[in-house]
Amino acid sequence: MEDIGGSSSNDNNNNGGIIKEQDRLLPIANVGRLMKRILPQNAKISKEAKETMQECVSEFISFVTSEASEKCRKERRKTVNGDDICWALATLGFDNYAEPMRRYLHRYREVEVDHNKVNLQEKGNSPEEKDDELFKLSNRGVGL
Amino acid sequence: MRQAGAYSGLLCGGVSGRTGPHSLPLARIKKIMKNSGEGVKMISGEAPIIFSKACDLFIEELTRRSWIMAIQGKRRTLHKEDLASAVIATDIFDFLITLVSNSDSHAVGGATNVMEVETIDYS
Repeated sequence: MEDIGGSSSNDNNNNGGIIKEQDRLLPIANVGRLMKRILPQNAKISKEAKETMQECVSEFISFVTSEASEKCRKERRKTVNGDDICWALATLGFDNYAEPMRRYLHRYREVEVDHNKVNLQEKGNSPEEKDDELFKLSNRGVGL
Repeated sequence: MRQAGAYSGLLCGGVSGRTGPHSLPLARIKKIMKNSGEGVKMISGEAPIIFSKACDLFIEELTRRSWIMAIQGKRRTLHKEDLASAVIATDIFDFLITLVSNSDSHAVGGATNVMEVETIDYS
């Protein structure tokens, strides 16, 4: 992997095709919060552990995306979609994730269809409402 | 086939997109996907949304397994070494072994190979 050798908060955007360091990782606050909710209340998490998790999650996204993208290339499609991600998860050994993700994807699409209907009747439905709907869906649980 | 633009509402709403207490910023996920290789052309709007959930599961599993390592070390603070141990012990995480073994990946100054430093027993 890329060894920049500096703090991950380095915002320098070199003109060599290197993306901003900040954009290479998910925010440490979000990652830390997700980790914390898994652990017992008296547990602590070192900053280095959070930083390592940030790296691992980005690598996970790239790993799965590459597999999904290769499938699209072979099938001569240009757009990576949710089904490709689910397929890639299963192919790469994350079988336990693929099935809940497929259910989540199907529910998401149902919500999207509903919103499209509503949008035809009610102009001006805000993105926030759509976000809220997805957010509620996200917290409803997907049968894990 | 749905196109990315169809979901622009979900990807708007601030620099990092939607961020709730249990979600990850969709725009950032999309950027990471875009940078995963030259082969990634277009990304549908639903893909980052699926990933935000998949990443929840990933973080949950790796955190749980890391915590087992910390407990075995009689510690209540999760350390970087615990994540490395969990990665090494879990087959589906083998793609991360190189990453967690680079102990200097974000160290400042001289890097110490923490994998060879004896873990301090806090008990």
